[in-house]
Amino acid sequence: MPSGTPPLIETKKLFKSYFNEEVETPVLFDINLAINSGEFVAIMGPSGSGKSTLMHILGFLDHHTKGEYFFHGKPAKKMDEDELAFVRATRVSFVFQAFNLLPRATVFENVLLPLIYHPTIPASERHERVTSAIEAVGMSDRTHFLSSQLSGGQKQRAAIARALVTEPEVIFADEPTGNLDSHSGIQVMSALQKLNNSGRTIILVTHEKSTAEHAKRIIELFDGRITRDTTGFEMRKARDGSIQK
Amino acid sequence: MLLSDLLSTASKGITVNRMRSLLTMLGIIIGVGSIVLMTGVGKSIENVILGQIDFMGPKTMAIFPGNKGPEGGNPALRSDFDSLTLDDAEALSSLTTVKNIAPVIFVPGSAQYGREKTDPRIVGSSPEYYLNQNISVSEGRLHDAKDEESSSAVAVIGSEISEDLFYNQSAVGKRIEMGGRKFTVIGVLNPVGTVFFQNIDDRILIPLSTAVSITNRSFADMFTLQAANDFEIAFADVRALLRQRHGIVPPPDGSIDNDDFLVRSAAQAEEILGTVSLSLTVFITMIAGISLFVGGIGIMNIMIVSVTERTKEIGLRKAVGATRKNILVQIMTESVFLTVIGGLIGILAGIGLSFIIAKIAEKFLPEYGFAINIGAIPLAAVMAAATGITFGVYPAKRAADLSPIEALRYE
Repeated sequence: MPSGTPPLIETKKLFKSYFNEEVETPVLFDINLAINSGEFVAIMGPSGSGKSTLMHILGFLDHHTKGEYFFHGKPAKKMDEDELAFVRATRVSFVFQAFNLLPRATVFENVLLPLIYHPTIPASERHERVTSAIEAVGMSDRTHFLSSQLSGGQKQRAAIARALVTEPEVIFADEPTGNLDSHSGIQVMSALQKLNNSGRTIILVTHEKSTAEHAKRIIELFDGRITRDTTGFEMRKARDGSIQK
Repeated sequence: MLLSDLLSTASKGITVNRMRSLLTMLGIIIGVGSIVLMTGVGKSIENVILGQIDFMGPKTMAIFPGNKGPEGGNPALRSDFDSLTLDDAEALSSLTTVKNIAPVIFVPGSAQYGREKTDPRIVGSSPEYYLNQNISVSEGRLHDAKDEESSSAVAVIGSEISEDLFYNQSAVGKRIEMGGRKFTVIGVLNPVGTVFFQNIDDRILIPLSTAVSITNRSFADMFTLQAANDFEIAFADVRALLRQRHGIVPPPDGSIDNDDFLVRSAAQAEEILGTVSLSLTVFITMIAGISLFVGGIGIMNIMIVSVTERTKEIGLRKAVGATRKNILVQIMTESVFLTVIGGLIGILAGIGLSFIIAKIAEKFLPEYGFAINIGAIPLAAVMAAATGITFGVYPAKRAADLSPIEALRYE
């Protein structure tokens, strides 16, 4: 990365609390991190550690309470609702644990959905983009199946196709293998790895170490705080070391 | 978001649950349908009445003895049924502003031919009556001045009387008995039906002089006459002459309370009908408005349920880039779709029912014809769309204001 170029994602002293009437429930504390373009980062932690909340904030689905969040150097706090929608439409996308496909729509219609709201991709390109996104996840033979007719693994691959159809800079994946059997989980992770190899930034949220190990960097969260930030190399070195011992 | 995307998304939104959408639309269908139906039926009835008034001609007027018009009047004068004398008719004929003065005397009695008997309305009047009432014969002739002069025992009978007494035979030349006297049928009237609430077909018309000799009366039950040129001037002249002859001093406020006669015209009847018709239209529109209001609340209710059911979907749409406006417009479009489709079904149903009612009514009232108040259709459509917009705002705003992550987490 050229010097002086801000990281893709940067947070400084970021806090998040939920408010239920007068009761404040803090979730994230003093989060400082920087993620550059092209990284494959896993945010890992046990249930309730705040990892999903962090992903939602980084993906502009939720707002932070205190501190700063910069996207390409631009503070998120200064973006209005329309700008946030624009970023969600053009620069980020999501793969959810529960797939979140429209049940009465076909795979094609589900993958098409983000293009409906995309402000710059012309309608004439839609068909080709949807077809190639479905092809990229190996689902061409299921294009006109209703999403309710798919297996869990197929649903998640359709969700990945939907995430990459707009060619976003970052794909956020929240426990993408959480509802899948191990075979389907491997297929999904290899699809994400392929996307990262082609230059896409992937931010993965998981509580499983084996899933996180597909990433090149792991940020560990515990009780809303970052407890460790390791690269895959360090991770593997530590693992291999333990095996040798 | 393209318009085609919006329309296809909205149409999918309402076709997912067709039965519910149809039930939701029912209030709108009934509201709009009733506007179209009721105004259509009103128009048909108005056409029937206007047709009857027009049949008499716009310059025809009728003068009745006494004063019991809609204006009220002096109750003391109400019994003055002998106030219109045949001399009054004579005097009116001296006016240059009126013509065809035809005094009318109703003669009580029944008519008999052989063993067939019927109860007609026996009308004694001068030949001018035919001109004023626009009456013609299908067979034979009308009575003329010669018959008047000689007080002939001749009768012109209505089509129903001809049917009752003679079936399919020719009536002309036959002799019928009325009040102990024999009358020769000289003509049969063309079927006319009801003119201004009076059935012409069940009448028997005899010369006025003959009626006078039977009843021994010097006063008439009514006069019919026509304005020679300007209707208003004729109207004023008639009133002034009769007041002068009857020694009536009109009150300074110009009211007709002191008059012992009442002048009525086809134009006045049309005017009254117009007012009644307008009031009826306003009334029906208000009722339909209430129905649309109730229908609108139904739409709002269902849209709130629909938005709640689709909270996760709305969250997903926001997560993939939908703006607040996109969601707002999508839900509003669904509401407007529901009301506009409901409105269209209502319009078609209203037209269809008006047609069926017309077909049934024609059997009892041949003059009744299928009619639609064209103005009511755009009014109904606009009211339906306005209902959709008005009652779609709240659910749409509720959906648009959802935070993406809260919507995605919704269970």
